[in-house]
Amino acid sequence: MLRAARGQQHAQATKRSWNVVVFSVGGMKLAARTEDVGGVSPWTKSIPVPSRTPFVQAMLKRDNQVMPVYDLATRLSRKLQGDPLLCLEVRHLDGPMAICIDADVPCLETVDAAAVRPIIREDVETLGMVTIGDEDVAIVAVQHLGQSMQGAVSS
Amino acid sequence: METVSFLVVRLGVNYVALAAAGVQGVLTQAEAGHEQTVTAAGVTYQPVDLAQRLSVVADLSGLEMRTVLYSNGHSYGAIRVEQVVGLTDVERKDCFPLPPQFQRDERNWFAGMMLIQDHLVLILNPSWVLGESADVVPVSVVQVKQIVAATPAAVGGSC
Repeated sequence: MLRAARGQQHAQATKRSWNVVVFSVGGMKLAARTEDVGGVSPWTKSIPVPSRTPFVQAMLKRDNQVMPVYDLATRLSRKLQGDPLLCLEVRHLDGPMAICIDADVPCLETVDAAAVRPIIREDVETLGMVTIGDEDVAIVAVQHLGQSMQGAVSS
Repeated sequence: METVSFLVVRLGVNYVALAAAGVQGVLTQAEAGHEQTVTAAGVTYQPVDLAQRLSVVADLSGLEMRTVLYSNGHSYGAIRVEQVVGLTDVERKDCFPLPPQFQRDERNWFAGMMLIQDHLVLILNPSWVLGESADVVPVSVVQVKQIVAATPAAVGGSC
């Protein structure tokens, strides 16, 4: 469930470019490296799990497997938009993890690695910022989501 | 085929399991009485407010509410639950550890999890339920990984 965008159709992937999936959470455009994304599918009801880990308080069942849900919208203080919402499955270092994203179908983009600017955001772990179209988009370090929250107080 | 027996109970929207070996009895509201502490067969069971400890919303005023008398041999607890779902035998390979993304107190609350009839069932740690082990908050990713590594198997066998 991905659509190719302008840049991706013509881009010759080179070692100096990054392929990213651009998605949105509460209207905020974000990106993730394609190698960190396992897929996009319709969101299904998650199962609440008693937990004190910030933003990890549910699981998603897929066939006979379950994976933790990372509540990125709440972390970014955003309200998810559209219907039906989508599930971005990411390859977290600790295993597959699901993130609920807006109903806007994510698209693929190729960006020049040199155009990725380092940024420090306190609201989410990132690999940097890149301008796509006329928008600045943070590339979320989905492999490391939650790891900077180690010392945080439970939400 | 090695199996483990569990008593599955419901608290709000959550299904949790207690190792059946520790279940000493299941009482109705009328049988348990209105006191928090329950005495049965000469043994006093201290009240365990599991819903409050797990921070889940449970309606303990319904007709299906039961009090589970639970013991590990040295501690005794009376656990009020919204519903007793039933006893089930589970193969060890079908029990899984909590994913490592869960990093806080819940690692001490739950010994693992399993899927039963489409429900995710969290396996309670008896020592924690009976108040023998305090909540331990891992302070680093390394500690969490050590705890996960100490779990019998990453692909099953967490019970």
